[in-house]
Parts: sequence; C-alpha cells; structure tokens
Amino acid sequence: MNDDAYEGARLGKSDVVLKTTDLEKAFGGLVATDGVSIEVDRGTITGMIGPNGAGKSTLFNLISGFYENDAGHVTVNGEDVTDLEPHERARKGLVRTFQTPRRLEGMSVREAMLVGPGPQKGESIFSLFFSGSDVTEEERGNIEQTRELLERFEIGHLIDQPSTDLSGGQMKLVELARAFTTNPDILLLDEPVAGVNPTLANDIKRFIRELNEEGQTFLIIEHDMPFIMDLADPIIVLDQGKVLMEGSPDEVRSDDRVIEAYLGGAGP
Amino acid sequence: MSAVSSWVSETLVRDATERRIFATLGLITVLLVVGVLTGVIGPRFLLFQIALVGMYALLSLGLNVQWGYAGLINFSVAAFWGIGAYCAALLTAPNSPLGLGLHPVFGFLAAIVVSAFVAVLIGIPTLRLREDYLAIASLGLAEVIRAIILNEDQWTAGSSGISGIPELLSWLPLTDAATTAAVVVVLIAVVYLFLRRVHRSPWGRVLRTIRSDEDLAKALGKNTYQFKMQAFVIGSVIMAVAGAFYAHLNLYIDPSDLVPLTTFYIWIAVILGGTGSNRGAVVGAAVVIAIREGTRFLNDIGFIQTLGVDLAPLRLLFVGGLIILIMRFRQDGLLPPKDELIWPAARDGGGAGGASASGAAPDGGTASNGGDDR
Ligand SMILES: Nc1ncnc2c1ncn2[C@@H]1O[C@H](COP(=O)(O)OP(=O)(O)OP(=O)(O)O)[C@@H](O)[C@H]1O
Ligand SMILES: [Mg+2]
Repeated sequence: MNDDAYEGARLGKSDVVLKTTDLEKAFGGLVATDGVSIEVDRGTITGMIGPNGAGKSTLFNLISGFYENDAGHVTVNGEDVTDLEPHERARKGLVRTFQTPRRLEGMSVREAMLVGPGPQKGESIFSLFFSGSDVTEEERGNIEQTRELLERFEIGHLIDQPSTDLSGGQMKLVELARAFTTNPDILLLDEPVAGVNPTLANDIKRFIRELNEEGQTFLIIEHDMPFIMDLADPIIVLDQGKVLMEGSPDEVRSDDRVIEAYLGGAGP
Repeated sequence: MSAVSSWVSETLVRDATERRIFATLGLITVLLVVGVLTGVIGPRFLLFQIALVGMYALLSLGLNVQWGYAGLINFSVAAFWGIGAYCAALLTAPNSPLGLGLHPVFGFLAAIVVSAFVAVLIGIPTLRLREDYLAIASLGLAEVIRAIILNEDQWTAGSSGISGIPELLSWLPLTDAATTAAVVVVLIAVVYLFLRRVHRSPWGRVLRTIRSDEDLAKALGKNTYQFKMQAFVIGSVIMAVAGAFYAHLNLYIDPSDLVPLTTFYIWIAVILGGTGSNRGAVVGAAVVIAIREGTRFLNDIGFIQTLGVDLAPLRLLFVGGLIILIMRFRQDGLLPPKDELIWPAARDGGGAGGASASGAAPDGGTASNGGDDR
C-alpha cells in the first residue's frame, strides 16, 4: 500500500488522501470548528498549528469520527467517510494518536504494540479454536514486526517493560510505532513531542521523516515551532476555528496574520 | 509428578510473593486433608465446601471476563446466576411448576441460551454508551429478575422455591458430595482453559486495551462494541452455568439467594485475586468463601461464647478488613495479571529471542494446534 504512495510522491503527482469540506462543530454557543476545508496530499508531512483553543484537536476529533460534526464532509482517498464510526474510518486508512494518551495497565510494551495490526485473525474467538495454527502463525509475524520496528525506533530494549513504566517521550514513540503498524494511508499525530525532552524529540522527528520518505503521509498538530517548521510542509494555521492560512514554513513565519493570532489571540 | 509440579510452578507462579501465596494455599490444603484424616472435618462437609468454592470461582471467572478484561461494570452477577439456577431447576425438577423433569443437560443448555439472550438484550442499549450505563442497567436487571421470580409464582413457584432438583451424574460410583465436587472441578478446568486461550490472544489484548482506553482501541480500528458484547455474553453465560450447577448442588433454590450480597462477594473475589487474572479470580473466590464460611463457626469457639457476643453478623466486617489489608499491601490483588496476553508458542517461536521466559509454559506442542486446547 505504501508503494503506491511512494510512487505518487516520486512522480510528483498531486493526490489527495484526506479532504474536509466546510466542517462545522459548536459546543453550545462556542463554535470550535467554523467551516474548515483542508486537503492533505499523499506523501506530505502537513503541519497544523494555532494558538491554544484554536480548535486543532476538535478538528482531529471530527476527522477521525470521535466527534459528530454539525455540517460538512470528510473524505479519505476520495471516499466520503462522514457517516462512519471511528473504527471504520481507521480501517479506511485514517489513523490518529491522542494529545493525552492513557497508559495501558497490565500490558507490556510488546503487548501494547501488538494491538496495532488489524484486523487480526486471532481477534475472532472462532478462529482461536478452529484455526489456531493460522492464528499462531500470524502472531509470530506480528511479534517479529513489532520487534523490528521497536529496534528501528531504538527502543528495542523496552519490549518487555510494563508499558506503564515508560517515560512520556518513550510512550509517544511507542504510540507512533503502534499507529504505524495499522498500515495507515494517513497518520494524524496530535502533539507528538509535547512534554518530550529535546533529544527524544529529535529522534521522533527523524523517525517521522524516515517513515515519510518511505511514503507515509502525516498530518501533525504541534506547538513546538522549530520542530514543526523543520519537519512539515505545507503548514495549516488554525485560529478561532477557522483556517487562517496555509503555506510553506517560510510563508507562515513571515505572515502578519499568524503573528497577530499568536500574540493577540492566545489570551483568554 | 515432578513434571506436573514444574508445569504448575512455571505456568502459575510468576514471582517470589506469588510463591509464598501458593505455599500458603498449599499449607491450608494439607491442613484440611489432615483434618479429614483425623476426623476433625467430615469429608462430606469438605467436599460440599469445595463444590461451593468452585461455584464461586466460576462466578468470579465470569465477572473477570467482563470487568477484568473489558472493564464492564456488571452489578447483576446474582441475576445471571439466578437465571442459570432457575433454568436448571424449572426444567429438571419433576415438581417444578413446569413439571418437566428433563435431563440436567437441558437445564444447562437452557441456562446458556437464556443468559446469552438476556446479556445481549442488556448489552444492545448500554454497551455503545459510557461504562456507567451498563452499571445502572445491571443494577436494575438484578432487581427485575428477582421481582419476576418472586411474583410470577405460577411459573417460578415464587418465594416457596423449587425442591426436588435431581443430582448430577448419580450413576457414578461416588458419593453425591464427591460427584458434585468432581463436576465443579471439571467445569472450572474447561472454563479456565477456554479463557486462557481467548485471553492470550489478539482478542484478549483488544479487550484489555478497551478497559484502559476504549478510544485508543477505536482509533486503531477495533469495533469495541462488538468486543464488549462478546465479553459480556461470555461472562454472563459462565455465571449462568455456575447457577445451574448450584441448583444441582443444593437441590433446592429460592429467590432469597439472588440478593445483591452475592454480587458483592464476587466483586470482592475478583478485586482481591487481581483484576484481569484468571488465577486470581479462582484464588480470590476461595479466600472470600473460606472467610465467609469459616466465620460461621466463630460462635462455636468456647472463648467467644463466654464473651456473650454474636460474631456471625460481623462476617462482612472481616471481609472488609481483608480487602483493606490487601489493597494496602498488595494493591493489584493477590495474583495480578502478568504476561498473559500472548500465546506462549507464538511468542517463543516468534523470533523474540526468548527475551522473557517468565510467562513461557512448556506446552508449546499443543499450541501449534490451537483447536486441541479446548
Ligand atoms: N468536548 C468539548 N466540550 C466543550 N468544549 C470543547 C470540547 N472540546 C473542545 N472544546 C472547546 O473547543 C475549543 C477548541 O478546543 P481544542 O481542544 O480543539 O483546541 P486546540 O487547538 O487543540 O488547543 P490546544 O493547543 O490547547 O490543544 C476550546 O475553546 C475548547 O474549550
Ligand atoms: Mg489540542
């Protein structure tokens, strides 16, 4: 699946993976998402920035189906997914991480990672008893993939740790790795380096870039400006539920409206 | 014999504390056997207690699937148990209001079908919503089932109960007490092996993820509603089987057993044993019932009689005190779950390099053919 993406990126063909049209969401009187239309091209790392409360996470929740939108549409690979449940959208290739993850109690890193691939044969009770050897076969493959991926992310030594013992940064890495094992068409990351120390943040940047070079498309919310400016292109700026502008890091940096939004709009 | 004991120690025992817990349990077992041999404890009494403990262990295993795997809050353990018990009693007792006198097999089958049906009925409106909805609905269900059994006496014999329930497998050349004890051991073994298989698998992992973070499971493409429904139905069916067994153990059933206290004891057993751990559920049930039944005899002790107080009503207090102690010194319960979400053969053969051997059971041979493991 990633081969196609790579092919597309290499040929410089513009191909939209994710598209929103006039998305709207209000919480009571507060309009958190106010007619947002964005497009994410295949093979890009698209950034999303904006002051606190701009509506970035709300937009992610609308895209991934965790919030029901008041109006508008979401399409993935040209297919309208607006009426689908979150898990159905995930299976269409739209996979997200969360701004504040919860720990998986009583699960080792290996076990927590193994929830990613899917759908797995062994998720069916029937298969567990009537095609047990297929299940075991598939499990072995997934375990091997998990081990390789963790090693690639330089956290192979954590594989047997209880996932509750990981640092915040290590957890973010595990989450990125796990989301990647779902084989998504687009990965939505909500603040992948918030609260992560600079060294680890750099590692995360490197891994995201590597995956992208292999064809993985990203849409990333991040407050860390150097991080996102270095990594993403284009960048979408959100303010008060609206798209303020979209452009290259340089264009965003030098845009007066963006500076205004950050200086003027950040306060309550 | 040594092969068996090494299998047991490698499969069941995970660390030094657990070794001590199992040693204590072993010691108690030896004391009980000595008690029987010296005539202090009647064998019939002991076998009856084993059957009772076994029934509670089944209930705990059922709740563990729901609460321990999936995080479902079910306050109607007693109701599903009662459904099972009444299915068995109504179909098999010749003098029940239905007067059918069928073979016990039909009682068990009816218990399974009816409890699964009721679980689906409760699950459809509640499992898509936040966990509190099931909690509330299940509280309601417990009362509704009790009210139906009490009031619809043309069908259920109401508060007078149903007697004359036949014994199980009475053709076996064993005493009735030994037979029921054997039956419950077999039931637990079957349920335990079934749960071991479904727990140590992708299915078990999805459920445990749902328990910690349902949104995460959804974001990874898992249909959490379906998984929760499966866990709820499986747990409820196990509870109903325990109920059906109880009917054939006690040979009499009335609605007074369907009180919320039963549900409370099972919750305690699961939490005490270690939420999410099947070994814990069995041990937790044994501990809770040992305390409950053991404290029955407190008043017979001469010293306490001279004090002139009635200690039997304080049993709940003992249970409460025990919970506080365990939560203080062993927060995750006696035998918390650990390394239980991957089938050993898949893990050891998966190029993991034997990175961790603690959970590895030497039963890889059967695992390549999962169907055998039932
Ligand atoms: N479930 C909700 N109920 C009510 N209001 C909400 C809800 N979710 C978000 N909001 C409101 O919508 C607005 C946008 O919030 P959102 O979390 O999308 O911002 P954000 O851009 O992600 O901010 P941050 O950078 O701080 O994460 C805020 O005013 C927030 O209070
Ligand atoms: Mg946010």
